Amino acid sequence: MSDKIPGRRGPILEVPLPTEAISVRRKPAGEPASFFGRMNYNLQFIRGRGALEISIVLVVLLAGYVIASLISPTGFAFLNPNNLSGVISQSVPVLAILGLAAGILMIAGEFDLSLGANITLSAIVFIKTSEAAGLWLGIAAGIGTGVAVALVNGIIVVYTKIPSFIATLGMSFFWMGAGIFINGTSPAALTTSREGTMEYLFAHNFGSFRSQLVWLLIIGVLAWFFMHRHKLGNHIFAVGGNPAAAEAISIKSKQVKLMSFAIFGGLVGFAAILIAVRTSSIQPGGTATEDFTLFAIAAAVVGGTSLTGGRGSVIGIIVGAALIELIRNGLLLAKAPGFYITLFVGVTIVIAAIFNKLMEGKAR
Amino acid sequence: MSEALLRIEGVSKKYGPNTVLNDVSFEIGKGEVVGLLGDNGAGKSTLVKIMSGVVDSTVGDFFWDGQKIDKMNRNVTERLGVETIFQDSALVPQMTITRNIFMGREVTNRFGFMKMKEMDAVAADVLDSVVTIEGIKSPKQLVSSLSGGQAQAVAIARAVHFKRSLLILDEPTSALAVRATEALLGYLTQLKGEGVSSVLVTHNLHHAFQVCDRHIVMNHGKKIMDARREDTSVEELTAAVVEGAVGLARFRQGTF
Ligand SMILES: Nc1ncnc2c1ncn2[C@@H]1O[C@H](COP(=O)(O)OP(=O)(O)O)[C@@H](O)[C@H]1O
Ligand SMILES: [Mg+2]
Repeated sequence: MSDKIPGRRGPILEVPLPTEAISVRRKPAGEPASFFGRMNYNLQFIRGRGALEISIVLVVLLAGYVIASLISPTGFAFLNPNNLSGVISQSVPVLAILGLAAGILMIAGEFDLSLGANITLSAIVFIKTSEAAGLWLGIAAGIGTGVAVALVNGIIVVYTKIPSFIATLGMSFFWMGAGIFINGTSPAALTTSREGTMEYLFAHNFGSFRSQLVWLLIIGVLAWFFMHRHKLGNHIFAVGGNPAAAEAISIKSKQVKLMSFAIFGGLVGFAAILIAVRTSSIQPGGTATEDFTLFAIAAAVVGGTSLTGGRGSVIGIIVGAALIELIRNGLLLAKAPGFYITLFVGVTIVIAAIFNKLMEGKAR
Repeated sequence: MSEALLRIEGVSKKYGPNTVLNDVSFEIGKGEVVGLLGDNGAGKSTLVKIMSGVVDSTVGDFFWDGQKIDKMNRNVTERLGVETIFQDSALVPQMTITRNIFMGREVTNRFGFMKMKEMDAVAADVLDSVVTIEGIKSPKQLVSSLSGGQAQAVAIARAVHFKRSLLILDEPTSALAVRATEALLGYLTQLKGEGVSSVLVTHNLHHAFQVCDRHIVMNHGKKIMDARREDTSVEELTAAVVEGAVGLARFRQGTF
């Protein structure tokens, strides 16, 4: 198609250009036609992103627990309904939802270390509003508080360009103080309002599982479709992976980061409600919720989320949270002393982080 | 006399105290291939970013088809159909080829959910259509698993797929293999026939001379030469690029 150009020296390129190709091929080259062939083929693109490896670890651990519990139902009471429903199906969903919150924000390239303080404040607002004005306003106020707290943090981070872990660590003291300011130092407690709908929605015992597990299922599916199939989720990955490249294609990185903070806040607010309904009372300024900050980030990291942004998966994070809670539960059932639990979780996180790093190298 | 596609007037850019661009003006005609040449640090990439709307000029006016553009930014240039391959990586390494190609312009249903199959299929075709890229197995591969040349080819494929009126390429051939480079240069001549303008930034004067209708030479932030192909030669361009305004003057006096 390249014409001879008059009056110039040297050869002119004569490269045939297959522009008709666009309408011809519908399937990428090399993709096998059979179902299993295609599954095997697609596996190579999933590997190296963390979720698969960590799922294998979870399945192996779970199998070990089931066998141990079958051999010794009293010595290792894993399959006991009290354990499955009372411990596992309450703790895994909360950590998984918090892990998704922290993980989505990490994928966007940011951290929010006031997660624990946010839980306390949102839970207090949820409790006080529910007691005063009923459940539905309480839910809205609890989630709204989570979003508002995270958005204030987000605005500070995005517009001052202070590294987010410094800014949000500082802000966590402020939010802790805010909890004491609106509630005083005595615990905020759910009384009559917990009965009925609230209990059924957020903490009901269905025998071998509780309401929280259903919420995890719903939130997990929504989060998966949002992060991995919706264009806004795609933008979060883009901004976290290479902000300059995203900006060059007119993705507004500040807006995307603020949106990620808002999603983070919404999930934290919701988890705060689950925690409040489970425990019935929240201590302002208390440290009980503080642990969640690092455990949530740990769940994300164990699940394959990159500490530098742009990489992570919803399934990986949920599996990571489940793994941490299972290890904790196993040590508890084996009657290990308390510090062992912290120690083992710490070791798990470091191993996962190293593993992550290796995976990142391999994907290159 | 038809208006130029893009005319820039009196564009200057300062980074703090440094003047990176100094009162630059030129036009890009419809269907024209313009070579933007100059030594490292001459300000070519800065000019490319300003024309693409991702960096603001300190002063300067912009006219599209004779109409003044009030505020240059990426939204405006996107609407006008300007597509750019930036010199410094414009891809997200942790994402797949498909997601990179459609980043910010995802094919979605009306709820914003992406049509992955459709995007994968188009991506596979786009990868084949312009530059022959060897070694790419699937559009589902992560960009981090590609070589520099392959990644460059993906960036080119994306720009070519979305271009509508002006294609700007900032040193697109630096990482490309010979065959891919030839295909790309051939493609630029073909674009001309389709009425699409392009700006080619390159270090390789022979490449530029092969395909460009007009050559603009930058030196220390100033435009020192703007000549149609028939009015210049590779030797003159070399003098201007290597020795700046002084070299150009000496060349014209025949003492280079
Ligand atoms: N973001 C920036 N901040 C400060 N100086 C910059 C920036 N971008 C480019 N420069 C400077 O502007 C000059 C021109 O750079 P550039 O446009 O990249 O040149 P070229 O592409 O012609 O090699 C260089 O001296 C470079 O250091
Ligand atoms: Mg440059």
